[in-house]
Amino acid sequence: MWKYILKRLVLMVFTLFLVITATFFLMQIMPGTPFNNPKLTPQALAQLKTTYGLDLPLWQQYLSYLVGAVHGDFGTSFQYQNQSVSMLIGQRLPVSAHLGAQALVVGIIAGLIMGAVSARNKNNKIDGTLGILSTLGISVPSFILGIVFVYLFGFKWPIFPVSGWGDSFSQTILPTLALAASPAAITTRFVRSEMIESLSSDYVQLAKAKGLSDKEIVNKHAYRNSMIPVLTLVGPMAAGLLTGSTLIEQIFSIPGIGQQFVTSIPSKDFPVIMGTTIVYAAMLMVMILITDILTAIIDPRVRLQ
Amino acid sequence: METWKKVAIGAAAVVVVGGGTRAAGLWGGDKSSSKDTLNFSLPTDIQTLDISKNTDQYSNQIIGNTGANLLRVDKKGKLAPELAKSVKASKDGLTYTATLRDNLKWSDGSKLTAQDFVYSWQRIVNPKTASQYAYLATGVKNADDIMKGKADVKTLGVTAKGNVITFQLDHPMPQFEYLLSFSNFMPQKESFVDKQGKSYGTTSDKQIYSGPYKFAGWNGTNGSFKLVKNDNYWDKDAVKTKTVNYQVIQKPETAVQMYKQGKLDEADLLTTDLYQANKNQKGIVKVPEARTDYIEYNQTGKNKFLSNDKIREALNLATNRDELVKEVTGGVSTAATALVPAGLAKTASGEDLAKYVAPGYTYDKSKAAELFKEGLKELGTDKATLTIEAASDAPVNKTMVDYLQGSWQKALPGLTVNEKFVPFKQRLQDAQTQNFEVLLTAWGGDYPEGSTFYDLFKNGSSYNDGQFTNDAYTAAVNKAETTDALNQAGRDQDYKDAESALFKNSNYNPLVSKAHYSLQNSNVKDVIRSTTGLIEDFKYAYRK
Repeated sequence: MWKYILKRLVLMVFTLFLVITATFFLMQIMPGTPFNNPKLTPQALAQLKTTYGLDLPLWQQYLSYLVGAVHGDFGTSFQYQNQSVSMLIGQRLPVSAHLGAQALVVGIIAGLIMGAVSARNKNNKIDGTLGILSTLGISVPSFILGIVFVYLFGFKWPIFPVSGWGDSFSQTILPTLALAASPAAITTRFVRSEMIESLSSDYVQLAKAKGLSDKEIVNKHAYRNSMIPVLTLVGPMAAGLLTGSTLIEQIFSIPGIGQQFVTSIPSKDFPVIMGTTIVYAAMLMVMILITDILTAIIDPRVRLQ
Repeated sequence: METWKKVAIGAAAVVVVGGGTRAAGLWGGDKSSSKDTLNFSLPTDIQTLDISKNTDQYSNQIIGNTGANLLRVDKKGKLAPELAKSVKASKDGLTYTATLRDNLKWSDGSKLTAQDFVYSWQRIVNPKTASQYAYLATGVKNADDIMKGKADVKTLGVTAKGNVITFQLDHPMPQFEYLLSFSNFMPQKESFVDKQGKSYGTTSDKQIYSGPYKFAGWNGTNGSFKLVKNDNYWDKDAVKTKTVNYQVIQKPETAVQMYKQGKLDEADLLTTDLYQANKNQKGIVKVPEARTDYIEYNQTGKNKFLSNDKIREALNLATNRDELVKEVTGGVSTAATALVPAGLAKTASGEDLAKYVAPGYTYDKSKAAELFKEGLKELGTDKATLTIEAASDAPVNKTMVDYLQGSWQKALPGLTVNEKFVPFKQRLQDAQTQNFEVLLTAWGGDYPEGSTFYDLFKNGSSYNDGQFTNDAYTAAVNKAETTDALNQAGRDQDYKDAESALFKNSNYNPLVSKAHYSLQNSNVKDVIRSTTGLIEDFKYAYRK
């Protein structure tokens, strides 16, 4: 298994290199310069370009970026004067990760419970209601839910704060719930169908024949087997949270990395675009790797190769 | 356990945990609206506290309130001595002498000296600093050569001797006094800047302050921070407010709701919809902006129709500015009367400059049609096609261009108007390379003086995107900036002449003088508002 992980890690580095290269050259297609002030004269612009080395041949800029990146220097933001990209991302990533992890945990736990309840009440009213809820959860985008939550719990019944981050725990509740809806719904659907399958499988029949109670059967046998597909989902769900959080961060004014990514593109803030892209790519790859490893640990039938 | 018991216990647990944590303050108590605290918001993150490098108006809110310059706008909207006891101009307008007050201090208690001003001026023009606002210093002796790297920063015409700072100019600058209140030229302490090195101004701890407030609680990326009264400020007795809380609220709708809940003292109504929904709210105020939207015609000869004087005049006459403002901005902004926007500056006699210089842009459909026909005849055709280009980033541009397309085509038979929307950066590039026919442009002023707009179209100016030459205009503006630099009444007349020269040749087409509405708590008094520079100054602000 260690050999396998090592192989995957090497592959990840190569993929990252491709991502860096592609992003770097794609950015050159964008019009304009990172300097937003329309009042800059052509001479002043030329001067600024020289200062920042943007007048050098492209391959030279590319090489110096790569050399910097290998040494952990991702440059300085143009938009946020003097701020190094490492610092900007270093401060914003924990915020996004906190929000994402909180949403993922809440979503999965809610999904596990609702899925099990749904399976055990197969085809009755409870199952139907949960079915409708989870369909809604999957199909309504998080940013719509975010706005609905802001209206309901921020203004109609002002229980929770609707903007900001880091002053209090309550600020995290609405964005977490908005983001958690989709993973909760997906998990519910999967757990339900897996559980129904498990409950009618031979080993459950055997367990029943042994005289185990329903509760024990569900908790000891059915749950464990239904967990496997959920685990394979964690990777893609985490990726979905990463992209979904960009808009949620905007709605709730959360200083996370998604917001940074969105604002850096129109202002052509090269170093920040590169930095955030690398972080996104790396996070996605790590998520997928962790998912693969976890699946192998939980289900002995899966072998990594 | 029976189900109802489980539910009951669960509910009890939620109440206990929720209530407990709330009581313990983990939920963040309501922001106190006590007498010495104000609550404001910003729509975007702060980008920097670097005095020389900032270009962002919201970061400027913080920099301007935590800093002081030689002069500051007072309660009457006039420049008054701040860190300077006095500022005197020589008769020829080429030398300014500022004498500092005694015992000035930085927020850390160290001495604030004349040298700190000299350093700040040297730093902004230093090409190594790469400030995007360095061009404002053009006109100060050697500034341009230093910016180009041809001269040493030490040769800049700003020097200090004791507590006296002397500025030497290449030519008189009517706006120079305003620069002495501008936040990019506020003092900076060299030893502090050097010590912080690359991270200067990246958090509230990595800056020291010379103004009414100190800045606290900003780590470089977070969205809630505050201004705290600076006890080392020379005029601290005039500062009645202890804390101004700031939070970043990106959705304007959220800010408005929070204003209604009493959590904010001000909320801008930045969209037409928001204005319509809240126009009967308590505390609604119209806020003029130092910005004009206008149209530039490519007059390089690339497009034969636009090189024809009659056709340009016809386009100007076919523009119904009053209706445009109503249709496009819901009546929030006002119809432009000139290149300068309403509310930018006042004439010597106290009239609004935009009103005073107005040459009489009107809407005359039949005259427009007639001129258009004559123009086409001169070109030997009966059809014309024009493309209007605008930036796609602002949704309002689409409505504006749609309106122009519809009304021009209706008023001028034979005319076909195409629309072209490109990202802002592309628009900027197209403007500079004359790669457009008709261009929608927005220009914001830097200081409350006409030259911030009238510099635009001088012959050969790089901002003259349409590349027209208008000698009468250029002469008038040059006169304002030389002979009349220190004579405001003369300058007013020069700008009037300049504007009428543009009008006569239909060189451009003014559309909208921008404004927005804002909800402002009427209990908060004496916030000093300006259209340029520091938009809201809290020095004298207090809650009644």
